[in-house]
Amino acid sequence: MVSYAIVLFISFTVVFFSLRLIPGDPVMRFVDLMTRRYSYEMAPEIYKNVIEEYKKMFGLDKDIFTQYLCFLRELAKLNLGPSFLNFPAPAQVLILRALPWSIGLLGIATVIAWIIGVVAGTLLAWFRGSKLDHFLFTVAICMSQVPYYLMALFLVMLFAYIIPLFPPRGAYSPTLVPELSISFIWSVLRHGTLPALSLILISAFGWMVSTRSVAITIVGEDYLRFATAKGLKKRRIHNRYVFRNALLPQVTGLAMSLGFIMNGFYLVEWIFSYPGVGTLLSLALGLLDYNTIQGVILLSMFAVLTANLLIDLLYPLIDPRCLYEV
Amino acid sequence: MKFKVEASGLRDKLSSFLATAKGSKRFVTGLMLLFVIAGLAVFEPVINAVRLGGRKPVEIGLFERGLPPSLEHPLGTDMLGRDVLALVLVGLRYSLMVGMMAGGIATIIGMVLGISSSYLGGRIDVVLNSITNGILILPTLPLLMAIVAYVRMDMLLVSLTLAVFTWPWSARTIRAQVLSLKERPYIMLAKVTNLSDLEIVFKELLVGLIPYIVASFSFSVIGTIMAETALRMIGLGPAEIPTLGFLLGWAMTYGALAQGFYTLVLAPAVLLVLIFVALNLVNTGLDEVFNPRLKKITGL
Amino acid sequence: MKSLLQVKDLKVYYKSIWGDFKSVDGVTFEVYENEVFGIAGESGCGKSSLVDGILRLVAPPGYIAGGEVIFEGVDLLKIPEKELRRIRWTKLAYIPQGAMNSLNPVIRIEEQIIDAILDHKQMSKRKSRQLALSALKSVGLPVEVMQMYPHELSGGMKQRVIIAMAIALKPRLVVADEPTTALDVVIQRGILQLLRRLKEDYGMTVIMVSHDMAAHAQVADRIAIMYAGKIVEIGFVYDVFEDPLHPYTKGLISAIPSIGRKYVKGIPGLPPSPLNWPAGCRFHPRCTYATDVCRSVEPPMREVSPGHFVSCHLYGEKA
Repeated sequence: MVSYAIVLFISFTVVFFSLRLIPGDPVMRFVDLMTRRYSYEMAPEIYKNVIEEYKKMFGLDKDIFTQYLCFLRELAKLNLGPSFLNFPAPAQVLILRALPWSIGLLGIATVIAWIIGVVAGTLLAWFRGSKLDHFLFTVAICMSQVPYYLMALFLVMLFAYIIPLFPPRGAYSPTLVPELSISFIWSVLRHGTLPALSLILISAFGWMVSTRSVAITIVGEDYLRFATAKGLKKRRIHNRYVFRNALLPQVTGLAMSLGFIMNGFYLVEWIFSYPGVGTLLSLALGLLDYNTIQGVILLSMFAVLTANLLIDLLYPLIDPRCLYEV
Repeated sequence: MKFKVEASGLRDKLSSFLATAKGSKRFVTGLMLLFVIAGLAVFEPVINAVRLGGRKPVEIGLFERGLPPSLEHPLGTDMLGRDVLALVLVGLRYSLMVGMMAGGIATIIGMVLGISSSYLGGRIDVVLNSITNGILILPTLPLLMAIVAYVRMDMLLVSLTLAVFTWPWSARTIRAQVLSLKERPYIMLAKVTNLSDLEIVFKELLVGLIPYIVASFSFSVIGTIMAETALRMIGLGPAEIPTLGFLLGWAMTYGALAQGFYTLVLAPAVLLVLIFVALNLVNTGLDEVFNPRLKKITGL
Repeated sequence: MKSLLQVKDLKVYYKSIWGDFKSVDGVTFEVYENEVFGIAGESGCGKSSLVDGILRLVAPPGYIAGGEVIFEGVDLLKIPEKELRRIRWTKLAYIPQGAMNSLNPVIRIEEQIIDAILDHKQMSKRKSRQLALSALKSVGLPVEVMQMYPHELSGGMKQRVIIAMAIALKPRLVVADEPTTALDVVIQRGILQLLRRLKEDYGMTVIMVSHDMAAHAQVADRIAIMYAGKIVEIGFVYDVFEDPLHPYTKGLISAIPSIGRKYVKGIPGLPPSPLNWPAGCRFHPRCTYATDVCRSVEPPMREVSPGHFVSCHLYGEKA
């Protein structure tokens, strides 16, 4: 628990300082970008005033340590400061609006992929050496290495443009209004299929490969040998002896890979213009929206660390050997 | 160039390595694929010069817009009248350059940190290891993107930045291996003799680390190319360095899919996948070759 | 005495890139009902592989290269897996070496004992629990053990749990592989007494494999001495210890430390490699009585006195 808080704090601080230490003034950059893009001319004094005003609003006029303190204080209030994208809406509003979509898609896809992968991996190890194992294993090795966003590109091309089965962008049909109706839910499902598949198709195979290796090691363990000597039914051996033990490292693995999955996932969102945190980040980056960018980075780290903490806390439930250390 | 090799050191290892390496289908396939890709990248200027008659592939309006794939333009042309194949080859070259540079730097950093961390042990190890794991767990891509967005970079700086975010992979692999090697008798023997730590590292440790260094390098290359592609697709990064990712990003932003320019998206994507597959095959192959526990000995 | 198990010319080999490791190279013996049959020998002579072969637990890279294992009239090596599974545990139980690793770490003891019962016999969960409890009691373990996880038990307790599992279904034959290794002497005594009780109180037959000659002396009725993949001597324990025939057996027995003796004599040389057994009598490189015939011809197993067999040229045509 304590280490969680420490890491969280350290990472936030690191993020804060690394962003602040980037050369250049974010406000000025933003204003310059805007003037360039919209061909807007400003007289030099007005320019300076605008910058000053913005700076005050963003709290960038104070020295860096005061900024840091303000940052922490505001963070505790969950206030990230005004955004540029939807000025003057504060960044956290934008993020909170996008968050449910991201959590929904990412969460569901990750869990589904993990379950499929672990179950399949154990089965593959059980039928090790068979033609099915050989074939699926080779496929899995190849597929698991493809980056999520490339798979997303393939899927979009294939099933949204060439063979228009699925909609290529958005989370739901623009003609609908978010409500708890069948048509809305159906639209959400349809729109979410391709992004989810981009993740699942690759992630599941990845889990399959790693689970298979773990399960093969387990099959070589003494207690497996003993279980066979006991003449236990095969299904029991598979479920209670192999699978249960293979779960353990895979759960920890899930926690550790969340950051990696998130990395790839943001891009998938962008490719599908899915209104989640990933697309928000891309837009913010394009516009150099300081606070939103910072907000997304912090949020991602927070989410991953919290997920890790949760899994750490829940782990003793499945591995009785860990009960003592809690 | 003559190498003075000590008794059963490098030469024996090399010959036994080559012998087993030939047996691993994966390794050989991966290596061949790599050679083909690398060859394309290296000879790209020549190929393009010949095909385009000395004009630069990124020049706009060289050919007619939107031509479908044909013998003269195997991948067609894009909406600005550029030959897609030429573009893709240029992209391949730059992608590989950035990948190898960034991957190399990442591997070196990872090596130094990994070796020092595990060899010196104690608190240094604890701190470094925590940092390594921290970076590995956290989603660093957004931060990387932010940095690249705000700072104008050239190729060297980009590679450096990418490396800063990728070194933990190699550090972890190498650290694990050093930890296991550290307890081996021949290292302990070396410590008893009066060799300085640095000498031990270079003479004894490195030889056993070579396969892991190579594996780390390919991992790092994969990692950096992936990160770089991710950056590019959103539109970040120096536009003068047209990597495959840049091509993809540009295509997406300008609606290549909606307009039906499939090859423009397909070709870079497929090439990227091929690079990853090749490197991964080499990695798995290396694992098969150097890991005696696997199938080889049991003859199964 | 009725014969329960006949092992005929069993061969267990292991594949490797240098050739086959012939760990068990033609082993023949018979085990009678209601006796404790010991199999002794140095580490690496093939004892554990022998057990694997008898119980058909040989895993790649090992394989059974030949022979028969006839249990109650059925060749265990040839019957289909389904039949083997039914015989396992109900008639033929196994106590492996290293109980520490033979228990599933994530499942409670109770379930681990019961799952074997339920997978073989139809009975209610309650009855199986009672059965498990009585098995635990007979090995001297308290009821609380049922709810524990393996890592909460000591080595000796784990060994007892395994024995309890083995006897729960009252099998006819129990094969124990090094049941006392890695345990301290006090616990060892308890386990040995337990094994003895299996024969006396429950009428079971026990095959005990161990390199500890002293353990055999305490517990076994008959003993087989194994060397270099073959059996070199079989006989009643008293006969073999009082009057060891094979030079190797003599060496083994004189190597047992005892309070009265001042010197412990070992056997010179090292055990040979299973890749390349010596020609003729496999013990000849270390034997003080070796002659030319020993170096070239493998001695057959001969009955030198009633129930006492040996494979050695010293007892050639004389018998």
